[in-house]
Amino acid sequence: MNISPHDAEEALATIQRVSKKTRQSIASSGADTSLIVTGLIWLIGFVCTQFLSGAILIYIWVGISLLGLGVATTLGMRRGKRMRSPTAGATAKRISMVWLLLWVFCVSAIAISWPIDGHQITILVVLFVITGWLAMSLLLYLAPVWPGLILIVLILLGYFLLPEWFYLWMGLLGGGGLIALGWYIRSRW
Amino acid sequence: MPELNEIIHQPVRLRIMAALVTLEQGNEVDFTYLRELLEVTDGNLGAHLRKLEEAEFIAVNKMFVDRKPRTFVSATPEGRKVFEQHVAALEAILKRK
Repeated sequence: MNISPHDAEEALATIQRVSKKTRQSIASSGADTSLIVTGLIWLIGFVCTQFLSGAILIYIWVGISLLGLGVATTLGMRRGKRMRSPTAGATAKRISMVWLLLWVFCVSAIAISWPIDGHQITILVVLFVITGWLAMSLLLYLAPVWPGLILIVLILLGYFLLPEWFYLWMGLLGGGGLIALGWYIRSRW
Repeated sequence: MPELNEIIHQPVRLRIMAALVTLEQGNEVDFTYLRELLEVTDGNLGAHLRKLEEAEFIAVNKMFVDRKPRTFVSATPEGRKVFEQHVAALEAILKRK
């Protein structure tokens, strides 16, 4: 079998393209859904926090968080069935441990800094979540890192420059940003 | 000297093999997932998978998951070896250019 150098070049480019797409697709399996669901929770929760007050906020946050957890788990399980891997369980355990450690660190940081106000709790939790996502993106090729870095800068700007509108800023920018990133991953891969 | 493989060189089969050898050895993907990944039709993918299975470059594993029939596909060690040789042959052609 003989082919021209041009055909060989095209074939190698195709192999590289498919290989990259496969790696990213498998690594990001479910990441888009998780980002969109988290983004929706933040969008609804923070916009409500900006305009409402009192016990109803607790019910809203608990309600949307539980709903989000249920939706993300169901969709994640459905997507997980697309690939069968003898090592998938071990990888999932390691990822869960990373998030667990991050949450322990987050709760410890809040407890050590206590008493702190709602804005400070919000920004600490949000920064931990985005940092976790950036770490996952770097290690598992989930998504490009730059949107997360831009998001962190914008969130910090909102925290320091727009304290009165901080929750609205977080809802639209934080929540909207995660939804946009999830949508970007879904449309690209 | 590595040799090109006629079965693998066909464009759809080349993409199938590129996707499957990217997976870790022992991992297998669902037929529907592969179809969406490669943007091909059911019939087209099925025909090319049969060809690769006949050549023993891939393994097709049919089973029931949640009482629904599912087909999982993976590259065999032989398929991985032949694909590596095919890539080496393509690179050799470029080096000779």
